[in-house]
Amino acid sequence: MPITVPEPVAERGKKDARRHRDKQREAIRKKLPEIISEESIITRKKGKTVKIPIRSLDIPRFRPGSRKKQDGDGGEGGDGAGGTGIGQGSGSPGDVIGRRPGKGQSQGPEAGSEPGQDYIESEIDLEELVAMMLEDLGLPNLEKKEIAELEVIFGFKIRGIQKSGPKILLDPQRSSKIPFGRFFAFLEILQDETDRDELTCFSALKQVDGNLSEALEILADPNFCASDTEVEPFGIYHEQDLRYHKIREDVRHESNAVIIAMMDVSGSMTTMKKYLARSLLFWLVEFLRTIYSRVEIRFIIHHFNARLVPEEEFFHTVESGGTRCASAYELANSLIDTEYPTDRWNVYAFHFSDGEDWDANESMREAKKFFEKGINMFGYGEIHVDEYYRPQSTLIPAFTSNFPITEWAAPIEGGTMKMYSGKDDFPFLGVVIENKSGLWPALKEFLKKDRWS
Amino acid sequence: MNQADIDRIRNLEVRIREIAEDMGLLTTDIMFEIVPAQRVLEGMSYNFPTNFSHWSFGRDYERNRTIYEHTGHGIPYEQVWNFEAPKAFLVETNPLALNVLILAHVYGHVDFFLANRYCQQGRSFGDIADEARNAADRFQEYTDRYGLDEVESIIDAAMAIQWHQDLDPFAEEVPEEEMREYLMEIERAKLERPDTIRGEFKKPQTKEEAQAVEKRLQELMFKTPPQPEYDLLRYIKANSPKPLRPMGADILSVLRNQARALSPNGRTKLLNEGWATYVHVHIMRQLFKEGLLTAEEHGVFNRFHSSVLRENKKSLNWYRVGFGLYEYVREQWDRGRFGREFDECEDPHKKAYWDTGANLGREKIFEIRASCSDRMAVELYFRDEFIHEQALYIYQEQVDERTGEMIDVIVENRPEVIRAILKRSLTLYGTPTIYVKDGNYKDNRELYLVHQRDPQLVSTLELNPQYERGTLEKIFFLWGRTVHLETGEIVEHKEGELTKVDRVVDSYDGKDHRSMKI
Repeated sequence: MPITVPEPVAERGKKDARRHRDKQREAIRKKLPEIISEESIITRKKGKTVKIPIRSLDIPRFRPGSRKKQDGDGGEGGDGAGGTGIGQGSGSPGDVIGRRPGKGQSQGPEAGSEPGQDYIESEIDLEELVAMMLEDLGLPNLEKKEIAELEVIFGFKIRGIQKSGPKILLDPQRSSKIPFGRFFAFLEILQDETDRDELTCFSALKQVDGNLSEALEILADPNFCASDTEVEPFGIYHEQDLRYHKIREDVRHESNAVIIAMMDVSGSMTTMKKYLARSLLFWLVEFLRTIYSRVEIRFIIHHFNARLVPEEEFFHTVESGGTRCASAYELANSLIDTEYPTDRWNVYAFHFSDGEDWDANESMREAKKFFEKGINMFGYGEIHVDEYYRPQSTLIPAFTSNFPITEWAAPIEGGTMKMYSGKDDFPFLGVVIENKSGLWPALKEFLKKDRWS
Repeated sequence: MNQADIDRIRNLEVRIREIAEDMGLLTTDIMFEIVPAQRVLEGMSYNFPTNFSHWSFGRDYERNRTIYEHTGHGIPYEQVWNFEAPKAFLVETNPLALNVLILAHVYGHVDFFLANRYCQQGRSFGDIADEARNAADRFQEYTDRYGLDEVESIIDAAMAIQWHQDLDPFAEEVPEEEMREYLMEIERAKLERPDTIRGEFKKPQTKEEAQAVEKRLQELMFKTPPQPEYDLLRYIKANSPKPLRPMGADILSVLRNQARALSPNGRTKLLNEGWATYVHVHIMRQLFKEGLLTAEEHGVFNRFHSSVLRENKKSLNWYRVGFGLYEYVREQWDRGRFGREFDECEDPHKKAYWDTGANLGREKIFEIRASCSDRMAVELYFRDEFIHEQALYIYQEQVDERTGEMIDVIVENRPEVIRAILKRSLTLYGTPTIYVKDGNYKDNRELYLVHQRDPQLVSTLELNPQYERGTLEKIFFLWGRTVHLETGEIVEHKEGELTKVDRVVDSYDGKDHRSMKI
């Protein structure tokens, strides 16, 4: 029979498809430093799935193509753009037969270091992306116990019972269990011993306040008769019957974190500078979300004066006026005092500016309060991009002269970037970001493992 | 598909075979399997009904499945393998009329497999399906023993150069030493046989020429390969300085054989699909005439048939152009529109109405399906008139200066250009021609490859550099020593003039890529 219906066979493709996806993930990992600066991720709508066009991997083969670099191509060498094909239909030379978004208009980053030919838009969980970053940063799966958990005392909790204690903790219910049992037992004994009726025995027992031998004595008198009309049980208490509540302090381990983001919004903070600040903040928040059960973010903008604003405003406000960083620090300090005390909250304060400050000494006085309160970290990001002239930084020298801070240079693509770390465990980190490629090392420094244990 | 449908389709298959034989087609027993769509998707992604595991197959499978699940399209209507006993899949969810169309179509393919000289060559790998199934088991054993990464990196590397085969598909495989002997014999004959006619004719005339022959002989003695070797996997497998181990050699053989078994299909895709379409049209017409299919089924057939023949703006629809070619040639030869007299006729009126009543069309198309490759068909039968009729053009990807969008623009519709480009791209999936010139370069067993150019065709002058670097790395992985590739770099390209090209050598030594002008 030439036409047959064979037994179904197991689906083989799935396993190999998974292998391909794993290899794609590997390619994404290699491109993380580029991906994290990608605007489409940072500005994405709420919801956790990020769409990244992932090049499907390809086996390289010799193929025709142009050797020359394409202009504005990012310099990967000719990539076969300008490729030709054969088609069929009405139309003559010069007619456009297809149209799609160009390279400069791409919707997201392209992952994949192997040559690729087409794109499969792939979705990846932001959480997964963060997990990849953490792995890459040498922060494999931080356990909850590794982070700074806070002991919060909420008062007291009843935890069991004990046989002694202050009167106020007496547990009447448990304490009366034996005494009432005793009452009925005594009543029974009296009846047995004296052969008198229950009510008479009760009256006798009541008269002597539960003393068994005294009650027997009374009942020995044949003239004694009941003075009560019904049996009303009562507890016959002995000292050892009393039960007291056992209490403990109610200590809960909370892992709440608040990020207080401060930013200079004076005219010199261009959109690009804010964008870099925003990127850094975005990833810091995502990171903190993975290790704390609850993360809140508060935004403070300042020029000469500071105020709390909603997120939207934080990134889009431009105001004129002088720059007085102390105003922001002051507001942050009072926010910590009133809403986020450091005994209840892990507090991370970040400040982004381009370094100009009207009165750095005043700022340092305020900054000092952060450290006295014991906040987890104070991060300072100084951003210098798109500048016609570079303002003299007054903040960094002020920080270094007021606090135990070491200056060092971290290697980045095509140079180095300046970093300022607190000596020993002093919770300060400053970075100077001069272009997009500084994001990854800055983040790496912020997320160093020992900062979180 | 229920039992009644299966019975009906079995009866129809018997009738289809009869009609095919009446048409003069070659037939044989074909194994038809009724399978779920997933099986067909796997078949098309893995090249064979069962093949070894590899991520690139998985990638294609996922892509094909996604397209199928989202659109319901993208599943090949028919899937048939040119095995000793040809095998084909019918999708269980296809409407019956479509499966009947597929039966007819497959009979067209099978006739083509049996008749076409290139596909006959492919049939010499008769047990390739078994080999693929066995390879799947062996590769799994390798993976268990040496780990996936190890096995995968060899497969990746072999796949990179899998399609570089002998230019002549009928070339016999001659061991290197035999070939050397043969070539030296030819040179020696020039010196030693002055008395024969051939010797007289070829005899070196001067002392210098004789010395040149001596020198060539000296070179031949040690040269590897003795003549340009286009089959890269064969050469590397036999000569690599890096120990490939039995596993490596096995994987290379499997990959090479699969490509060699599949390549006849690659060389004849246009003619083969066109022929199968031509055949299914004929057979289906007959089935409807005989009342074996209903009017409703006729509607289903029409819908699928016209979607198969739809024109593609951005790629060549093999079915449409191939089918069109047979129809065109049939009509031309029926009217005697061929030969010197016709070609040289300059009277447009006379030429337009040219009809000698030769009635040779049927014979001609049967001959084409037996003897031609796609490349030959383009050269011989893609007349200007046919190219215009099919409205073929070349388009190019460009950037719209105003909007920054990528656009595809028609850049060319001159028949001579289209012929040249088609000929080029129809030779083995457009694989550039590359050969091993020296396997002992610098006396250090480095590998020297040459990218062969066709000065007339701009697309053969340069290679995509990103892919080239990637491929060199893969070759290095197999060879273990520095790999060089002589290729071209366009200096100046002007319309209508010969393009100026620099020759360059790109090298990869396991660490760095270097490029040098020569």
